[in-house]
Amino acid sequence: MEKYFDQEVTGEERVLVEGHLRGCPACRDTLKSLEELSTSIKVPVEQAVQKEDFPWVWQKIEREIRLQKKPTWWKSLRSWIEVSPLLKRKVWIPAVATVVVLLFITAQIIFKQTPSYPDASVVEYVESPTDNVMVYHLEKPKVTIIWVFDEPAKDQTTS
Amino acid sequence: MKRLLFLLILIGLFCSLFFSSAYAQVQVRLRVIHASNAGSNVDPALRDLHKELGSLFSFTSYHLMRDETLNLSLNQTASISAHEGRIILEATLVGLHRNVAEIRLRVVREGTEILNTQVRLFPGRTILVGGPRHRRGGVVIYALYARF
Repeated sequence: MEKYFDQEVTGEERVLVEGHLRGCPACRDTLKSLEELSTSIKVPVEQAVQKEDFPWVWQKIEREIRLQKKPTWWKSLRSWIEVSPLLKRKVWIPAVATVVVLLFITAQIIFKQTPSYPDASVVEYVESPTDNVMVYHLEKPKVTIIWVFDEPAKDQTTS
Repeated sequence: MKRLLFLLILIGLFCSLFFSSAYAQVQVRLRVIHASNAGSNVDPALRDLHKELGSLFSFTSYHLMRDETLNLSLNQTASISAHEGRIILEATLVGLHRNVAEIRLRVVREGTEILNTQVRLFPGRTILVGGPRHRRGGVVIYALYARF
């Protein structure tokens, strides 16, 4: 009877049980009492569920999740490397090394690390096949003069 | 996969070298001045240089003939003619560092080289190259100043 009440019987069994119930008042009473018992349990449970505040419970769970310690960036990176099949291949090691070397060379070319020639002279060389040349430096104001004595020189001089 | 990676590295190398050399550039302000003792006029455009010119030279008149801004790339030569093309200044950027521009200067007068020099332009330093005679009297002075 419990199986029939819980709807766990086959179609054939149900037909047999229902046929029997029509002629058996004792079994009908048993079925009725089962139905009453079920109702008496179901109603308080439904009322309790309606009273329960599920959003509040979820908020509590969320707060607990947020409070959990976040993994460090290094751990995240390591886990990503372990997961990513591409990075497991050793071909990336020379590739990354090459890129680093390239960046270093490029930076050297762009900025040319030789900084500022603090003591270097302004004029590296000066020559004139025809005239005398004078070089004069001033620090205040910061001026360097290269003067060509443009005269009809008799002898050609290089300074 | 390995071939593709090798190709990408080669392209990267080529691009980085190309762009690094292409962008190595300096801006040089070049002013061509006619200095003479005819009159006592100082070009208003030379107001910033007037004090220096006055303390260094004994000319009474300064006239700005040309004011050019040259964007020089490495090994690129710019030619500036003055005095109806009789005097030509050639400026070539031969080296560029963080705040130093190495420039080779050639002054050619009527087809003859009268000056060949290489200078380092530092921030805040002006280089005056003068002396070539002007036909109407006086001399030509070039004032160079690099902007980094």
